[in-house]
Amino acid sequence: MEGVLIACGELGFRETSVRAILEHSGGHRAQFYQHFESKEDCFAQAYGVWIERLCVNLLEAAATTPGWESGVRAAIARLFRYVTEQPAIARALFVEVQIAGEPALARHEAAIERLAAAIDSARVDIDPAEAPPEATGVFVVGGIESCVAEALSAGDPGRVWDALPELMHFAAGSYFGNAEAEGAFERASEMLERERARLAAAAEEDEAR
Amino acid sequence: MTELRLISGTALAEPVEAEAPAPLRLPPGRHGIPSDLVRAHQRLRLLDAAAAALAEQGYGHITAARITELAGVSSRTFYQHFEDLWACLLAAFESEAARLCQEIEGACPDARAGIAAGLRFLAAEPDAARLLSAEPPPQIAALAMARRDLIERLGAMLRAALRTDATTPLPGLERRLIGAALALVSTRSATGDPQRLRELEPELTELLLASL
Repeated sequence: MEGVLIACGELGFRETSVRAILEHSGGHRAQFYQHFESKEDCFAQAYGVWIERLCVNLLEAAATTPGWESGVRAAIARLFRYVTEQPAIARALFVEVQIAGEPALARHEAAIERLAAAIDSARVDIDPAEAPPEATGVFVVGGIESCVAEALSAGDPGRVWDALPELMHFAAGSYFGNAEAEGAFERASEMLERERARLAAAAEEDEAR
Repeated sequence: MTELRLISGTALAEPVEAEAPAPLRLPPGRHGIPSDLVRAHQRLRLLDAAAAALAEQGYGHITAARITELAGVSSRTFYQHFEDLWACLLAAFESEAARLCQEIEGACPDARAGIAAGLRFLAAEPDAARLLSAEPPPQIAALAMARRDLIERLGAMLRAALRTDATTPLPGLERRLIGAALALVSTRSATGDPQRLRELEPELTELLLASL
């Protein structure tokens, strides 16, 4: 099923034919139609499996990092690594899903809701009288997703990293207001510097080999 | 059915604006209506049909054939107006984006009134809401750029409306906020219930203003 995601990520959902999928995944046309009703069905099923893995991966990054802000930052950093390391699949998951039809979109909505519920754990630290709107979780996840989609659509996945401090400002600000947002921005800027140093060191190591 | 407004004497003297309400079909055959008016009318119908076809079929499946069918024009007429499907969708997007911005600008500089006006427009025009909020295929560069331009423009409007309050202007923050707002509008408008968009107003206003 990975073949459909890579093909759609590279060629675009509209341009991807069943033949193009089979070129990536192997197998025959008849086998394809034994498993899937259509390209749309194949994409939706593959999307469901991959987005589930990615959600678990991100939730684990957040759960193993203490504190809401650090957890969100760790999950976004893990998402950005995924996007830069697997751009074709990321493009299928974050960009092509938008045009791949209702079955994939329904799974997409479910994933957004799940991540939104996790990010909504911020509410435990907020006085109920000052609770942010109900849609805050979905809003924040939507903002993070649109940022990733923007970088992938532009063909430059590496630039998602530039947005990390602003995204943390956006996420913290949506729940806790402007003062918290500024602190989150500063701390994310520091993390970004460390991440860039790590990437530069890894690149040097690769060159030395 | 004919569109009496367009056939009346006063309307003939005025140019057809892109902001005009959804046009109906002109009478077929000989009718004495000037050809440039017929063309302008066809174009409006095609733009309207493009938004309706997108709401119906999505970017994954939309075809020029469905647009011509909904507009009630021939395929030949379609290609007299537009080079291809994407040129038509781009024109429809730009027309609806201009209308949305006009509605918001009319209510600005008050940010809350601007957000309310934008949502009112999107709730009243569900096809336009789908067209403006749905992420287009990135392979169609002009359309993707038009959407980025809209996000930039709405972000700049939000920034301008809040200038006195914004203590730390971040270049990309408004884009994140507008991107998130459009994602929310896209989800809500996909249900086809305009009431759900109208209900979003207090929440979205609070969310757009919270971190600025």
